[in-house]
Amino acid sequence: MLATPHAAAAAPAPVVAQQGDSIYGCVICHADKRRSFSVGVHSERGIRCHDCHGGDTEAYEIAPAHRGRFLGTPTKLQTIELCSECHADPNQMRQFGLAADQLAEFRTSRHGQLLLRQGNTDAPTCTDCHNAHLILPPEDARSEVHPTNIPATCGRCHEDEGLMGRYGISTDQFELYRGGAHGVGVFEKHNFAAPTCIGCHGSHAALPPQVTQIADVCGHCHRLLERAFYEGPHGPPTLGGALPGCLGCHSNHGAARTEPAGIAALCASCHDVETGPGLMGLEIQEQVLRATAELELAAEAIEELELMGHEVGDARFRYQAALSEYQQIALVQHSLDLEQLEDLGLRVRSNTGIIRATAETHAEEQWEHKLLLVPVWFLALSAIALAWFKLRELGK
Amino acid sequence: MIRRAFSATKTWFTQTWSDLKESADAGLLASARFFGLLYGPIDRRLRIDQALKKSLRYRLPSHAGWRHAPGGITYVLFLVLVVTGVLLALHYRPSVQEAYPSVQHIVSNVSFGWLIRDLHVWAASLIVIAMMLHMARVLFEGAYKPPRETNWTIGLLLLFVVLAFGATGYLLPWDQWAYWTVTEVLVAIASFPIGGNILAEALMGDVIVSGATLSRFFSIHVIVLPWASLALLAYHFTLVRRRGIAPPPGVEDTKAQRRESAVASREEILAEAERADEGIPFWPNHLLRSFIVTVLVLAVTISLAALFPRPVGAPANPGELPHELVSTWVPVDVSLALLRYLGIWGFVGFTLLGVSFGLIPLFDRKPERHMRKRPVVVGIGLLFFIGFIALWLAGRQIGSLPPSADLGEPRVGERVTPAEPGLPVPDLGPEPHRQQVDPAEATGEGGAQ
Repeated sequence: MLATPHAAAAAPAPVVAQQGDSIYGCVICHADKRRSFSVGVHSERGIRCHDCHGGDTEAYEIAPAHRGRFLGTPTKLQTIELCSECHADPNQMRQFGLAADQLAEFRTSRHGQLLLRQGNTDAPTCTDCHNAHLILPPEDARSEVHPTNIPATCGRCHEDEGLMGRYGISTDQFELYRGGAHGVGVFEKHNFAAPTCIGCHGSHAALPPQVTQIADVCGHCHRLLERAFYEGPHGPPTLGGALPGCLGCHSNHGAARTEPAGIAALCASCHDVETGPGLMGLEIQEQVLRATAELELAAEAIEELELMGHEVGDARFRYQAALSEYQQIALVQHSLDLEQLEDLGLRVRSNTGIIRATAETHAEEQWEHKLLLVPVWFLALSAIALAWFKLRELGK
Repeated sequence: MIRRAFSATKTWFTQTWSDLKESADAGLLASARFFGLLYGPIDRRLRIDQALKKSLRYRLPSHAGWRHAPGGITYVLFLVLVVTGVLLALHYRPSVQEAYPSVQHIVSNVSFGWLIRDLHVWAASLIVIAMMLHMARVLFEGAYKPPRETNWTIGLLLLFVVLAFGATGYLLPWDQWAYWTVTEVLVAIASFPIGGNILAEALMGDVIVSGATLSRFFSIHVIVLPWASLALLAYHFTLVRRRGIAPPPGVEDTKAQRRESAVASREEILAEAERADEGIPFWPNHLLRSFIVTVLVLAVTISLAALFPRPVGAPANPGELPHELVSTWVPVDVSLALLRYLGIWGFVGFTLLGVSFGLIPLFDRKPERHMRKRPVVVGIGLLFFIGFIALWLAGRQIGSLPPSADLGEPRVGERVTPAEPGLPVPDLGPEPHRQQVDPAEATGEGGAQ
């Protein structure tokens, strides 16, 4: 139906100076579109209005301009065809280091199924997530697909209760995400190793993971935890589909660490407290709380030592060692290996024990320093007494 | 039988004591002669034993009382500072890398290093208090009047020297509190309109407080100021001896007349011989009194050092501001209170008030020494000293202030290390603003025209 955009897009396009655009007819009415387009990456490659929309660029009035191979505002399906003409062609995308599989992935996604197979225009097309004219690469913080902006971009539809109500999808994901560890990582700490929506759901191939896939999705980043989980007693039932994997204890969108004090309660939500697993939960909680308390005491001891001018290099090194052992406890909480947990707890305690022993020795030394005052004052008072009596004697 | 034993012991003690007294004289003489033997010709020419005996025979005027103690206390504390300072300097290393660890080494490993260090810190605070008491006594008694006005000026110079000692020494531990307090002071100096920048850079030896500043402060603290204080102290004591201790208002001042030369005239020697039995002999009376005061001062300082050791902040980091600057010296307490309640101009005003003391001998030369007859001077004095006490107590309450320096936002391209352990993250610079493509904007200026 549409003629392909002319060959200028196929060959490496020289960067065209924009001064010539003043004679470009489209600009007369659509100056705002031109301004937003000129910010994006496509205009740098010399792509212009007629490359996507067609029409006569030299005409200055509406009717002659909108003539010929003219595509006004493309429909959603037309947009997909238009973008895919370049973006699904590896030969054109190779030079930019871009993948050309977006269309193929989109076909497999829920959005693609709705739009391409059912013609349902509730689903988004390319320009719904990437702006129609202001198209910026994801690394640019102004882009709508920059990590800090992705949740808001997805939220444009996924927070719309009316729209989501038609499909039975909840709309609280963004709120949960913002409060969870991943949201805090992305929005507050600018740590883009933390996933946004597309990190777990995929971007063009967006689909919620199935129950058996959840641990693998979390395992994209939490590799060791995933392995520990599968080694533990919860692993096989998860593979069989009986348990929801990570979701059993952690929220999916509001992902956060479990507080040590809440471990036993979490186990008790499925297991009876009197049974083996319930007791194991209590045991694990106790060990983790103890290790956490030991670390906090050691940290306090180090602060105190440093405040009093003591050398703390050695103590800090030991603290790092204790911290490394402590961080492995997270693995054990997923493999539920009590023996390993006890071993780790012992190692943490041995290191923190040494730190606290140093602090206690120091505290004892401080006390001994104060004891020095006894002989000092004894000598001082006796010397003063002797001198005083001598003085009185001389005075008489 | 007990009574006999008691009286026998008492007799023995009295006997031993009188033996000691005789041998003390003989011993002193003997030790002087022994050294004289070693330096034979020198001793004979200089007559060291004669000088020693004469100085022990010196008599203080009978109006010298306990109110004259603060001056001596100041000197005792100064000696404590010198001795502990030398001992500290044996272990301290004045370089950016080693300063903080060397202090940790002193406090942890050197035997009684903790005591020497805390004595030094506490003596530095107590000497300021003793100096203020001494200055107050001199001011309110009118002992700065002629012929003692030079001594007043020398005393003020000594005050400045002691404050300089403390200011330079404050930086030496090289912890966050020391570093940023000194930075604030130097920034304040640099903000002076005339020559402030030049002075601050001369003091710093660099554009910021750095290793150059540390070296500079250390050498001032350990070489320049000790020589200055030696010279000033020697002159201060000489003048006290020459002019005598000022009598209370109303009593005749026998030494108020200036001599023409340092060598006493015949009449003066005779007059002095007449007064040979007046007053308090230095040996043993005054020495015993001084001994009591010295022992008390030392015991109090050691107690403070053992009970309240000086805490240490984190090692100095020019790239990071601490949450608060804790004060560990009396003048810093005073400055905290001044800055918090009266601002920088209050600080300058109070300093000028103190400096105006130097002008007193220029204006107040009348022989009147009663406080009621010197209202201006007494008024300035009350304002300064009561203000000092009030500010010091207020400063102790405040304890610490957040630093006023501002490191500013990290610039684009600077790597920002996250405060908690995490993955290092590339800095994105200031909040990116969305480029709002506003048609009115581009044509705005043209349109307005």
